[in-house]
Amino acid sequence: MTTTRRGLLQFLGGSAVGALFTPAPWRLITDTALWSENWPGIPRPARGEARYKFTNCSLCDAGCAVRARCIGDQPVSLAGVGGGLCPFGLTAHHLPFHPARLKEGPVKEAAAAVTSAIANRGPTEHVAVLDLRPGRTASWMYRQAMASIPNGTYLAPPEPLVAVDLQKARTVLSLGAPLLDGWGTPSKVFAARDQFRLIQAEAVESRTAALADVWLPVAPGTEGALASAVTGEVDAADAARITGLSAEQVERLLNELKENGPALVVDSEMSPAVVDANVRLGGWGHTIGPRPQAPTPDAWNKAAPVADLDKVPNGSIRVLLIDESAAGAYLPWAPIEKKLAANALVVAVAPYDGGYARHAQYVLPAAIYPETMDDIPPAVDSMAATFRLAAPLVAAPAGMASVRELLGISDGLRERADAIHKVGQGLLVTYADGKSVAVKDLKADDFWKALNAGGAWTGDTKLPAERRRDEARRGREESLRHVDPEYPFTVVTERRVAGLCSPALSQIYQESNLRLAPNRIALHPSDASRCGVADGARALIETASGKREVIVTVDSSIRSGVVLAPGREDVAFTSAKVVRI
Amino acid sequence: MKALIPFVAGALVALGGGWAGFPHAIYKSRPQPVDFSHKVHAEKAGAKCEDCHAFRGDGTFAGIPALDKCTGCHAAAMGTTVAEKNFIDQYVTPGREPQWAAYARQPENVFFSHITHVKLGQVKCESCHGSQGSTDQLPRYQEDRISGYSRDIWGTAGRPGMTMDSCVACHRQQKLEHSCLDCHK
Repeated sequence: MTTTRRGLLQFLGGSAVGALFTPAPWRLITDTALWSENWPGIPRPARGEARYKFTNCSLCDAGCAVRARCIGDQPVSLAGVGGGLCPFGLTAHHLPFHPARLKEGPVKEAAAAVTSAIANRGPTEHVAVLDLRPGRTASWMYRQAMASIPNGTYLAPPEPLVAVDLQKARTVLSLGAPLLDGWGTPSKVFAARDQFRLIQAEAVESRTAALADVWLPVAPGTEGALASAVTGEVDAADAARITGLSAEQVERLLNELKENGPALVVDSEMSPAVVDANVRLGGWGHTIGPRPQAPTPDAWNKAAPVADLDKVPNGSIRVLLIDESAAGAYLPWAPIEKKLAANALVVAVAPYDGGYARHAQYVLPAAIYPETMDDIPPAVDSMAATFRLAAPLVAAPAGMASVRELLGISDGLRERADAIHKVGQGLLVTYADGKSVAVKDLKADDFWKALNAGGAWTGDTKLPAERRRDEARRGREESLRHVDPEYPFTVVTERRVAGLCSPALSQIYQESNLRLAPNRIALHPSDASRCGVADGARALIETASGKREVIVTVDSSIRSGVVLAPGREDVAFTSAKVVRI
Repeated sequence: MKALIPFVAGALVALGGGWAGFPHAIYKSRPQPVDFSHKVHAEKAGAKCEDCHAFRGDGTFAGIPALDKCTGCHAAAMGTTVAEKNFIDQYVTPGREPQWAAYARQPENVFFSHITHVKLGQVKCESCHGSQGSTDQLPRYQEDRISGYSRDIWGTAGRPGMTMDSCVACHRQQKLEHSCLDCHK
């Protein structure tokens, strides 16, 4: 029998028809579908016996108690204890897997460069630590280290000088503070929310403004004029002129604060002007008071104070170590840059690429919650001192660095815990069993063990508030005084909860436009119309510093003349223009 | 008619390969690490399913027991069989966990709660696992080369399948069909 091309094709055709009557093709389709459920890279949840660990969330100062469900050593879900967790906290166990995570860096090289630069600097050159989460025990250690080094300088963003008690307020005037959006302790804020009337003065209808009883759409950066009106520094007519509100609105506000007391005025950092306003309203010792701190060892009294950046000589910082491992607020880079020497060594220790990394010669990877051992500063709405450890739920990967290691100092946590125990005041709250024990009834080792197991110390120890800084507010006011007519818009940045969030969560936020994506801005419809851009259109946003392409969201909740942009505080209140592409 | 011969031959080859060869080619098989007899444990030791495949205190199912469960009785050799000697030498003495292959492992996108089915639904182990609990020898584990799933999920003689269709059929029969998220993550 001769094999012909026709015969071969007939054989193949017969094979194809025959194969259709076998399980092979159908099974291959099924198996391929099943295989596609298991793409390489899809996370595999650990299986096994579930155990529970307790810790405190260090993503923000609220420091909520966390109950972590762990399979083996891996936390697979987080939940709050006695108050719940915000969405950021609920998904915090995803953070170690963030795609922008820094996994390696020249740690040894950077350490050698730091040691050499500190040893060989000039007699007037400074060594500085920039701590983006002041108020921690680590901050105390940095301050001590800086006190022991000639020309050592400790820099930090402004911290609130006072604590507030929302439970005691009946009327709250919020000057742009994200009161209902991560400013205080969420559980405390929402527990007190029904008890007070909230008046939100802010340029955009933020989430807090949307949930407030009254929203006062003031001109950007002029919220402080309302505080001045409360203290009587300006009259209602002037305050109305500055803020863009009507005189009637300001009068009504002032009357309400007087008549429906106790009244409380808050802004993001509880600036001195706001504290004065509260004093005038009779709230000192009632709705506000000194911000308490947990006791510290006596030896720590020699710690360096928080330096006023303006008073640091220009070009004087030879070594700048930046701790971004638990970043809260940022300082604008421009004034910091002025203080750097020409041959300055800048080392940023951060868990993610971003922030100050682009300004640093060395960017070193840092561990992140829930890998780190750190403590959490007291929240602004905590009238009592607190000491809570964010004990690690998982081990940090190898190769992580810290500013502490670069300076060769300890974390100081055990010493702090021992100092608290020595004072013997306050209570230890253990969430695992829901009990409170007086510290004086505990041994020092047991107290330390309980803190490491997620316990929290609370007391009424009061230490004098020692930092009075409001550069951020001053900077805003200065920038408003110098508006360039070429740039008709004022940039307002979307206030976000401090800390990072799971990439899954940020994806949901951005895809649904609940939060502005990094490449989006929002404009009032009339401004959008004037600029010739429609919702979803591409445009250029230009400032004196540069320009970038963005997508426009048209939103009537934005005040006219304002561009709402995602970003950090250091781009807020700059002047800008929007150009259609 | 003669012209159809190549076509028919091709069809017959494909049918033969598809029905006889393909099912063998698609699976790779391996023996379980230990020659374990459910029958011996059930009959001689009087063990019940839940003695080894226990529920934990929080209601989760422990699944295949870990070595420490075995060493409760097998700290030293119990008998003189080759299988027993191998088990002691290779696993008990060095404290090494046997890498058992699970015939009934469900995919990651499914929640399966044993305690709901066994305690609440009063479903017998045999309803899903067939006669596994009384076999004298563990069958070779057969894994689909493409999907990575066990062959057993399709069901065999005396054992129902563990596919989604099988689950749905039973839930439908019990009038417990609610929503996708009852089972799927």
